[in-house]
Amino acid sequence: MSGRTYKIGVVLDARRYERVRGTPLEQRAVPIFGGALKMVEIEVSEETARRLLQEFPRSRIDARGFIEELPVAFKRRLFELMVELGKADEGAVRAVLERHLGEVKEQAAKEEEYIPPP
Amino acid sequence: MPTTIIKRPPPHGGVLVNRVERNAYRAQRMAAGAPRLELRPTLDRRTGLPIRNVYREIVSIAYGFFSPLDGFMTRNEVERVLAERRLLSEWVFPFPIIFDVSEEDLQRLGVREGDRILLTLRGRPLAVLDIEEIWRFDPIDIATRTFGTPEKNPEVVRVPFDHKHPGYNIYASMTGIALAGKVTIINEPRFREPYDRFWYPPEASRREFERRGWRTVIAHQTRNVPHLGHEMLMKSAAFAGDIEPCHGILVNAIIGAKRLGDFTDEAILEGHEAINLYGYISPKRHMVNFTLWDMRYGNPLESLLHGIVRQNLGCTHHMFGRDHAAVGDYYDPYATQILWSRGIPSYGLNEPPHETDYGLRIRPVNMGEFWYCPKCGEIAYSANCAHEKERQRFSGSFIRGLIIEGIEPPPIIFRPEVYQIIVKWWRAFGYPYVNSRYLKTKEEQGEFELGPMEVPGA
Repeated sequence: MSGRTYKIGVVLDARRYERVRGTPLEQRAVPIFGGALKMVEIEVSEETARRLLQEFPRSRIDARGFIEELPVAFKRRLFELMVELGKADEGAVRAVLERHLGEVKEQAAKEEEYIPPP
Repeated sequence: MPTTIIKRPPPHGGVLVNRVERNAYRAQRMAAGAPRLELRPTLDRRTGLPIRNVYREIVSIAYGFFSPLDGFMTRNEVERVLAERRLLSEWVFPFPIIFDVSEEDLQRLGVREGDRILLTLRGRPLAVLDIEEIWRFDPIDIATRTFGTPEKNPEVVRVPFDHKHPGYNIYASMTGIALAGKVTIINEPRFREPYDRFWYPPEASRREFERRGWRTVIAHQTRNVPHLGHEMLMKSAAFAGDIEPCHGILVNAIIGAKRLGDFTDEAILEGHEAINLYGYISPKRHMVNFTLWDMRYGNPLESLLHGIVRQNLGCTHHMFGRDHAAVGDYYDPYATQILWSRGIPSYGLNEPPHETDYGLRIRPVNMGEFWYCPKCGEIAYSANCAHEKERQRFSGSFIRGLIIEGIEPPPIIFRPEVYQIIVKWWRAFGYPYVNSRYLKTKEEQGEFELGPMEVPGA
């Protein structure tokens, strides 16, 4: 990593999309895979990327430069903060790390043992 | 007269290794009186999780997947492999294959060179090892020299290897005491469901190709449940062949210890099978089998082993894509294609492995990437599609992220029937991917059972 930026993709299924409809976040939602899904991309600095990889050792940067395999609890909390703050930027990511890290890590540890099937 | 017709290649080294004693009487006699050694997993020294179990190497050697290798390597053989990626018999081979034992086990066994030991798995006889040499090594040194360094292997190695690299970790976690010699299976594994219907060791695989009338077969390496990018890679690469596209596509899954977060072995096998069961690639042209091996994630080196295994299985071609058998950014993403197009001299491979003496006869099909392009309106091939801004690259990590969040990937990137396979095994294991519980369960159960076997005096 050398001064570059990375991305976190927050996928919006129908339920999540409904919650951002009519807000500035809706403008940020880009269709992917022919419109089958929508996604909000959040750019983060190298420093934040490194912190995420450190806090969540299973996460990794994929070939597209996206930070993937973050805990589900992290993604859910990030989405909630995006809605609460009305924005999707590095500030929302840092807010998760600063305000909810303990709770997210606790849930993430449980996630590694069991996740109910759909 | 030159011909463009491609025929099934001979096994690597000329003859398939077959070290399986099927006669019960002879098998008992082979093991009689030999001291017993229970096979145990190699554990990650930091997490305590199993990262390898040598029984998979024993099975793959004995059934000929690794032909011409017929046993565990001596010190000289390992040194030759590390220096030139060749066996002492000259045949190209990528990795040290080492049977390591603990100091306590060595003392307890009280064996010397020339002795035979009986190897048991979960308490039952599996194989015998005829000890040719007992030698010691520094695991970190072997791990480092196996994969290389950015300084010594600048063509392909980008970042120094460390314990986060699963292959490096396997070698680095070995005991440092090796028993070298030939192994013979004396009690045939009985594979459990779903593995049993995918078990086609080299002889059986070659027979099956013959039965199906497949002269040309292209191999697809997998450690993943397939998404549409994989499927398009298979379909497109299979247009290689000779005067017609390849007759068959063989998906050869690597089954063994996995990284946390990978798909489970069961889902990988059945996910690929779903591609033919539901007709996305006709079952007349597509089959799935597996090789037991705890992957070393050695990108170009792993591709060399894949070439050997799939040639032994009877394949004529092997497709290689970006980041072949890779993890992290240790290697150049196209390191495998560098190997198969010009060689990697720093590994001792001055030519591509299929163009060197005592090399492989399987042919590489080096492929670019597939991505979804909304402008093309299709899964596009990287050399065709010039819509750089519009393209949406496939990412296995992204798809795994969707699935674990409870979002079914859209059919444009993932077959619904394949998703259902994932859900089926998710229900069975309580988790969609490999976790520590899966690794421990897998270690306890393995892929096969061994029948009871009386061994006099052992």
